[in-house]
Amino acid sequence: MKEKLLKLQKKYFPVSLMDTLLTVGIFAVVILICFLLTRWVKNNHLFISILLIAAVFLVARYTKGYLYGIITAGLGTVAVRFVFSDLYRQLTQAGFPLATLSVVALAVLTSTLTIQMRHYTHMRREADREKIRGNLLRAISHDLRTPLTSILGAASAIIENDKVLSRESRLKLLSEVREDAQWLIRMVENLLTVTRIDGERNMKIIKTDEAVEEVVSEAVSKFKKRFPDHRLDVLVPQELLLIPMDAVLIEQVLINLLENAVTHGKGATLISLLVYVQGKNAVFEVADNGAGIPEQVLPYIFDGLYKQRSEAKYEAKNNMGIGLSVCATIIKAHNGYMMAENREGGGALFRFTIPLEVKRKK
Amino acid sequence: MSQTHTVLVVEDEHNIASFMTTVLTANEFHVLKAKTGAEALALNASYNPDVILLDLGLPDIDGQKVIKSIRESSDVPIIVLTARTHERDKVAALDLGADDYVTKPFGTSELLARIRTALRHAKNRGRKDSALQIGIYRAKGLTINYEKRRAYVDGKDIHLTQTEYNIVSLLSHYAGRVLTYDYIIRNIWGPLVGNDNQILRVNMANIRRKLEKNPAEPEYIFTEMGVGYRMLESD
Repeated sequence: MKEKLLKLQKKYFPVSLMDTLLTVGIFAVVILICFLLTRWVKNNHLFISILLIAAVFLVARYTKGYLYGIITAGLGTVAVRFVFSDLYRQLTQAGFPLATLSVVALAVLTSTLTIQMRHYTHMRREADREKIRGNLLRAISHDLRTPLTSILGAASAIIENDKVLSRESRLKLLSEVREDAQWLIRMVENLLTVTRIDGERNMKIIKTDEAVEEVVSEAVSKFKKRFPDHRLDVLVPQELLLIPMDAVLIEQVLINLLENAVTHGKGATLISLLVYVQGKNAVFEVADNGAGIPEQVLPYIFDGLYKQRSEAKYEAKNNMGIGLSVCATIIKAHNGYMMAENREGGGALFRFTIPLEVKRKK
Repeated sequence: MSQTHTVLVVEDEHNIASFMTTVLTANEFHVLKAKTGAEALALNASYNPDVILLDLGLPDIDGQKVIKSIRESSDVPIIVLTARTHERDKVAALDLGADDYVTKPFGTSELLARIRTALRHAKNRGRKDSALQIGIYRAKGLTINYEKRRAYVDGKDIHLTQTEYNIVSLLSHYAGRVLTYDYIIRNIWGPLVGNDNQILRVNMANIRRKLEKNPAEPEYIFTEMGVGYRMLESD
């Protein structure tokens, strides 16, 4: 019973510092204007009542619940009764209680409208989020089906044609199976990350001071395991750089960008990874000397695949869509900045920043 | 390998157990299979395997508890197979006495390398304190002379400080195996330092600059993010 009451109180009469300050602020400003009016304008009664009503309306509209609106209405009538007594005297005996009642009614009505409006906005946002989630799921399912089909096909081909397949073709099929499986695993890892930091509400990631060179070196060694023949130049600052971050996520950003350079930077022979400090940020750059990013894709490159898909068919195997939007999400969660461009000499350049220090924010 | 070693594979996913069995058998290991924690404990008691490969997500008992029970009676090397991305599980398993871990999905060569490392360390376990304090560690261009307490890269003395040498020497004794931050800190600075990784990080950064050609592409000491460090297996 007590809990229920408390819940109701929280829902309809929530108390917060912000709202209290807002109420006090609005009321003080209005009273101040009223005082100035009484000094310079004669026959100011009408202005005063209109201003007080406006104050009640504003408070009821911009605070949560009914509490602050009603308080303002009460304060307004008290002010009329004791401060602006000229106005009070003008009202007939029945007039004052009636005026009080209407002001309170105004407060309650406005608050009700505000509450309803908030509820409606919330519902619509939920619906939007649902829709995005649905689109993402559809796109992902589609993307998963392609490699799975080819794995199934290759495995069946090997089993059913055991006697006729040459050793070379068997190995070729098997290496394709391996490649597809690796792609699927990376895709799933990216999706897991998305669910870990999805939504504005749980954008919280746990940041600890990590050595940049350790994060970079682990990303590089994982990359080299997968692409042992690719040339990769890595340069990190001479001094030890400790930056607050979620190391696993940043490592994933680096791996995504490096692998992206191999799979999408057509003709790339050299990939470089550079880390340096600029102002209050650590800057990470992954560049290749391949074909670069098609101009029409550039504006949407971090938007995730659902937008991209409606654009020109970019690439059949589109891990880039999810991979890059995951990168952007991770960097955003670190209060960093991410961008992509084409280099002057040819090739793509991806750059992201991470603040050297966490902003102290309450 | 001259003599056949027995590997106990504890894994409830049939397909994964099956491919591991194929790889291990092809590499002349004798394989025992267990699908549950209870089965694993029973097989361990009756067959005394040389290595245990343990999946942490078992249907009956939590993998961490299996490690604990095994460690009560036996020193058999345990390699944990974990699909979990969370480093905490790995660290917890290592702290409970697991020898190493492999993160799923893993390649077969990685798995075999971990098993061989674990077997080699198990063989050396008896004489860890005496014999390994003398002798030499050698991997690629790196040489550590335990008697002189010096480390050389391509024949040149790299002038490690006392603490740096202690860290490198500790890692080299367990070369190929991952050592957790906590383990290293406790061994170098004693139990009173607490688990502030910063002091270790700074020392590692200095070591890296003396040891490696490019700190971002280490050849000898590798970072296992969120877990610890691993040194290159000796030649």
